[in-house]
Amino acid sequence: MGAQRQPRVVQPPRTFEGTAWKWMRYSGILLIPLAWIHVLIKDVLVGVHQIDLTYVQRTWAFTLWRIYDFLLLAFALSHGMNGLRQVLMDYIHSPSGRSRLNWILFIIWLIVLLMGAVAILGGVKGAEAF
Amino acid sequence: MQVTLKIFRYNPEKDSAPHYETYTLEAEPTDRVLDLLEKVKSYHDGTLAFRRSCAHGVCGSDAMRINGVNRLACKVLVKDLGTTNITIEPLLGLKVVKDLIVDMEPFFENYRKVLPYFINDEPPPPDGRERLQTPEERERFDDTTKCILCGVCTTSCPTFWADGQYFGPAAIVNAHRFIFDSRDRGAQQRLEILAQDSGVFRCRTAFSCTEACPREIQITKAIAEVKRAILTGRLD
Repeated sequence: MGAQRQPRVVQPPRTFEGTAWKWMRYSGILLIPLAWIHVLIKDVLVGVHQIDLTYVQRTWAFTLWRIYDFLLLAFALSHGMNGLRQVLMDYIHSPSGRSRLNWILFIIWLIVLLMGAVAILGGVKGAEAF
Repeated sequence: MQVTLKIFRYNPEKDSAPHYETYTLEAEPTDRVLDLLEKVKSYHDGTLAFRRSCAHGVCGSDAMRINGVNRLACKVLVKDLGTTNITIEPLLGLKVVKDLIVDMEPFFENYRKVLPYFINDEPPPPDGRERLQTPEERERFDDTTKCILCGVCTTSCPTFWADGQYFGPAAIVNAHRFIFDSRDRGAQQRLEILAQDSGVFRCRTAFSCTEACPREIQITKAIAEVKRAILTGRLD
């Protein structure tokens, strides 16, 4: 009998594409509960016609809901932007073009995320006026 | 039985654009599509250009689109098509050289990029004989040894159609064949190449390659195994 066979292992290469691929899966898994709970509460239990600034103000009185909404925004946005990046890579083939694409999408992602973060952190003010 | 062949024709030296020509001929239900092409070339139009070599599904020369599906013409019987109207076109995603012949160079260029050969600079065993492996170790990559480089999988891949730089299923299958070979020592190099922009992560698991493969290789599974090897470093 031969010696016990050692498992074959190599150093996993770390590349942007590998990280993006993993991120797509992790964010997708997290989005399943985040998006479904959101849809269930807003569209089924409450109803979109009942949602106004007063409702949002009441909801965001709880820090947990603010964190929830921010997580939903962050994961959905990054998941969608990475999907868009994959589609656009079908049409942009040069390394410089792809690099520019990544930066442009990253900046758009950051701006929208910051806008959402400002809204969520700032909360709703003067809802009574509506 | 009588069959109607509608064949894609393009001679860049004469035609300004591709066109189709139709041929009606007598055929047996057990004739292969390759037999019909040979009949057209021998008795109807000697200028028809197509590749063929062994004619027995081993060399992979006669890959083409038959009624919209990538197949080897030598492995498709007329009776299995379910129709007597047969449309034959060149493979998609590669430049047409003439009629059904496409330029395979981009395909082989991608193939060469993954180092599709045995790499091991360690000294051979003391007895000077072959590097041994167990039947289980051999079984690990058995499926991907079946590839005949016909190009059917790569040219059925929507990502390859859009982005010819994508290595494509055939190149990844041939990388898999060596990455999971216990005697090989080039896995690190190959995984680093395949983890790049045009590598395995461009695969969207459309399964077109697996459905098209005339050797019935589980290509999408092989690609997923290479992805896992890149992410975990495990080669078992």
